[in-house]
Amino acid sequence: MPQEDHDLVFQKTCALLKVFNVNNIELTKDTDIATELEIDSVAILDLIMELEDSYDISFPMNLMSELRTVGDLVKSVQKLVSEK
Amino acid sequence: MSIFDKFGPLSDLYNSILEVGDDPFSVCMAEILSPTRALIDGREVLLAGTNNYLGLTFDPECVRAGQEAMAKQGTGTTGSRFANGTYANHKALEQALAKFLGYQYTIVFSTGYQANLGVISGLTGQGDTILIDADCHASIYDGCKLSDAETIRFRHNSPEDLDKRLTRLGQDGGNVLVIVEGMYSMFGDVAPVAEIEKITHEHDAYLFVDEAHSYGVFGDKGRGVSEDQGVLDKIDFYVGTFSKSLGSVGGFAASNHPEFELLRCVSRPYMFTASMSPANVASVLEAVHQIEKRPELRQTLWRNSSRLYDRLHQLGFELCADKGPIIAVKMPSREDAVTCWNWLIQAGVYVNLAIPPGTPNATSLLRLSVSAAHSVEEIEEIGEIFSRLAEMRRDAMPTSSDASAKSPLPV
Repeated sequence: MPQEDHDLVFQKTCALLKVFNVNNIELTKDTDIATELEIDSVAILDLIMELEDSYDISFPMNLMSELRTVGDLVKSVQKLVSEK
Repeated sequence: MSIFDKFGPLSDLYNSILEVGDDPFSVCMAEILSPTRALIDGREVLLAGTNNYLGLTFDPECVRAGQEAMAKQGTGTTGSRFANGTYANHKALEQALAKFLGYQYTIVFSTGYQANLGVISGLTGQGDTILIDADCHASIYDGCKLSDAETIRFRHNSPEDLDKRLTRLGQDGGNVLVIVEGMYSMFGDVAPVAEIEKITHEHDAYLFVDEAHSYGVFGDKGRGVSEDQGVLDKIDFYVGTFSKSLGSVGGFAASNHPEFELLRCVSRPYMFTASMSPANVASVLEAVHQIEKRPELRQTLWRNSSRLYDRLHQLGFELCADKGPIIAVKMPSREDAVTCWNWLIQAGVYVNLAIPPGTPNATSLLRLSVSAAHSVEEIEEIGEIFSRLAEMRRDAMPTSSDASAKSPLPV
């Protein structure tokens, strides 16, 4: 798969986040996933599974501790795609 | 800034639950009257959320064995299995479990939680990969955290999704451990262990099955879902607990791998905690024999489960899984679940409350577990109380042409 640029991964991630964005807040790269989106820990893991399938990557749970914002998530996806 | 600030949202949620009534997360049983009844807040309450599937907590033989062991061996071992905490009965229990299950090796841990922590973190390390069913118990998630292996989730009870993720991983995952449960504790649904075993071994991975809720409950001899689906001899690592059908506290893991005993020297949750007390070991050893000798306990459990499941289904409650000893009633919201839980305990029945965060798909549940010790009359009494709950909820619903008024309760 050709590597997608940061904006495209961001848009796809935002699309996947839509179902979890119950308060319909505007998503930016600085949006804090846990506190601003009020997503619980299980839902974040479910989102990771969606991203794994979208990009055909394995996204270990161990990386979760490094993820705070939507931008962090996008960077991790890009890194895992580039390592495929 | 306080070290507790991060718990702000949780604290708000907890306080909102307390405003509704009793605290569902610190119920105190002042007196235990039987496996199915207790005094709570001065009232006699029928217990329908104890995981005491076979009712062995008050079995006379198990009680006698525990009492004798305490009198002869003392109140505690004051040491870990690795040091001074292995008594003859710990070894006897390991041998009895190995014989009953048909595995060569068994290791007894101090709790079921520690069995999962100890086996997962002992077996896997840096460069390895663990694939876990998304709905696995917290002890499995914590075991993965304690390991240095990479952990990947697969979709709940989906052999196809497991196959896809194992294929995606290819040869890059080091040694791969796949973890599932026999019966899942929240919804009571059963894993397709036979299909998962086939896929796991096709990919040269190892299979770990946690039979915490299914040991003593499923299978011709009560050896769990793995026995029921004909793959007991193909499981690499079989884990169980003593705190459910066996009526005590503790846990174990069994395997046929010749190097399995090495875990005794590398598994930190095994090495660095006090071992099971003599009374606990003796009562569990007796309970293993009781399960082997008395298949009628299992038959009674399933008869009771079937009767209560049918009753709740007829009342219109949405149930989360097929018939079994865990009956999870889905509630429309967290608030509804808390209100109904309070109503039930006031009406005289204790069930478990499970609400988000942390439940699968953010579901809110009233979770019942049935026991072989429930009499037919007690099963009917629980059904009757739920019938009144359904009535109460129906009365509370709008009577206008609102579409929701036409739906069955409480869905």
